[in-house]
Amino acid sequence: MTIPFEVELEKLKNTIIKIADLAEQQVTEATATLLAESKPENKVIKRTEDKIDKLDVKIDQICQKIFALKQPVASDLRFIMSAMQISNEIERIGDLSMSVVKKTKKINDKHDLIKRFGIDEVCKQIVAINQKANECFISRNENTIGEIFILNKSIKNKTSEAIHEIIAVMKTNSKTVVSGTHLIIVLKHLERISEHCTNIAEYVYFMINAKIIKHDKLGDIEGLEGEE
Amino acid sequence: MHKIETKNVNFFYGENHALHDISLAMKANTITALIGPSGCGKSTYLRLLNRMNDLIDGTRLEGEILIDGENIYDKNTNAYDLRKNVGMVFQKPNPFPKSIFENVAYGLKVNGITDKAVIEERVHTSIQQVALWDEVKDKLKKSAFELSGGQQQRLCIARALAVQPSVLLMDEPTSALDPISTSKIEELLFELKNKYTIVIVTHNMQQAARASDNTAFFYMGRLIEMDKTKTIFTKPNQKQTEDYITGRFG
Repeated sequence: MTIPFEVELEKLKNTIIKIADLAEQQVTEATATLLAESKPENKVIKRTEDKIDKLDVKIDQICQKIFALKQPVASDLRFIMSAMQISNEIERIGDLSMSVVKKTKKINDKHDLIKRFGIDEVCKQIVAINQKANECFISRNENTIGEIFILNKSIKNKTSEAIHEIIAVMKTNSKTVVSGTHLIIVLKHLERISEHCTNIAEYVYFMINAKIIKHDKLGDIEGLEGEE
Repeated sequence: MHKIETKNVNFFYGENHALHDISLAMKANTITALIGPSGCGKSTYLRLLNRMNDLIDGTRLEGEILIDGENIYDKNTNAYDLRKNVGMVFQKPNPFPKSIFENVAYGLKVNGITDKAVIEERVHTSIQQVALWDEVKDKLKKSAFELSGGQQQRLCIARALAVQPSVLLMDEPTSALDPISTSKIEELLFELKNKYTIVIVTHNMQQAARASDNTAFFYMGRLIEMDKTKTIFTKPNQKQTEDYITGRFG
């Protein structure tokens, strides 16, 4: 039976919301694990990761079917193109969250390091940027896009500062080298999650305005306010 | 200067106001697709470009249509000369009940060309231009009806080209053809646009998207929007255009 186009699009949108919701859980879980004093259990996060992978494939299949059978154009075409890209970004966010949890296991004296380098603040911002990216897709709200760009810049600055400080400590205290290195990798993962959230915002902007802003600076993007 | 320019054109079939204030311009050597739901006026507009509607009683035109800067509805314009310059291909292939050669030579003979060498040269060139030569070179004297639908349509295009027009009008030229013949005609359009300005009416959105440089969307006798095809099919300016091309009405 032929499914009406509108129904296919709604199905795609709902699947993206579902995968985005799972990735949001992953990010929350990963940051909570990083900030927690005890060593993490990663069974739940692994199960969620499997669900994300399955939904990612499902989204590709829905998009492929729509391209082949419905030949979408204009706003429909932009939505489907963005949906495929956003799904990839979300899947990567899931993977990175999983990696954060794995690396966290290897950090000794974790809590002390986290307190010293302000990583709790980075974690808060990571959760926030991820929520905003998902909201931005669901509501197609351009105002959120500007906020995501600003938040990403702030996360980059904070992780960069923290990494410099960690390296400085590692230079003076060789006992911190192993944990410090793992923590740097975790920070890099968090930074990548933030980048993927920003990419989602860029695809939402493309979906709304038919303009590709991948390599533009925030100040140069029409309709968006704020400074990078 | 634009090749074809339409200025504030209103057209009436008796009391029926079929086209409302149409203004648009087409550059030389481009393909313009006219799209819109049935009855929107796109074929009426196309037929105005070679005064085919003159043949219908009770029609009336207001405004101007210029080709190469000349008003084609000026009383000094000869409709026969105009149609030589503005060729037309119809929805259904309509070869004459004659040989393949005679079909293409027909327009030349009607236009008073009697030199056999010239006729032969033009027939060969026109058939080659539509990429039909290899398929028919050994059976030029056979009836055109022996050709397939797609070959017949290319023959009709060759017939239109033989009189050396500068504009080619096509009214749903592939709607009766299979996908392979359709694809051949579309490839042909790309070749032909180097020499001709082409205006094509189509109900096939993918064809408009694939084969044209510019697209004009008509609705209820009005031109809603004309823009580059890329813009129309990625981000049209008007909601009506968006709704039509995405299949939400029409």
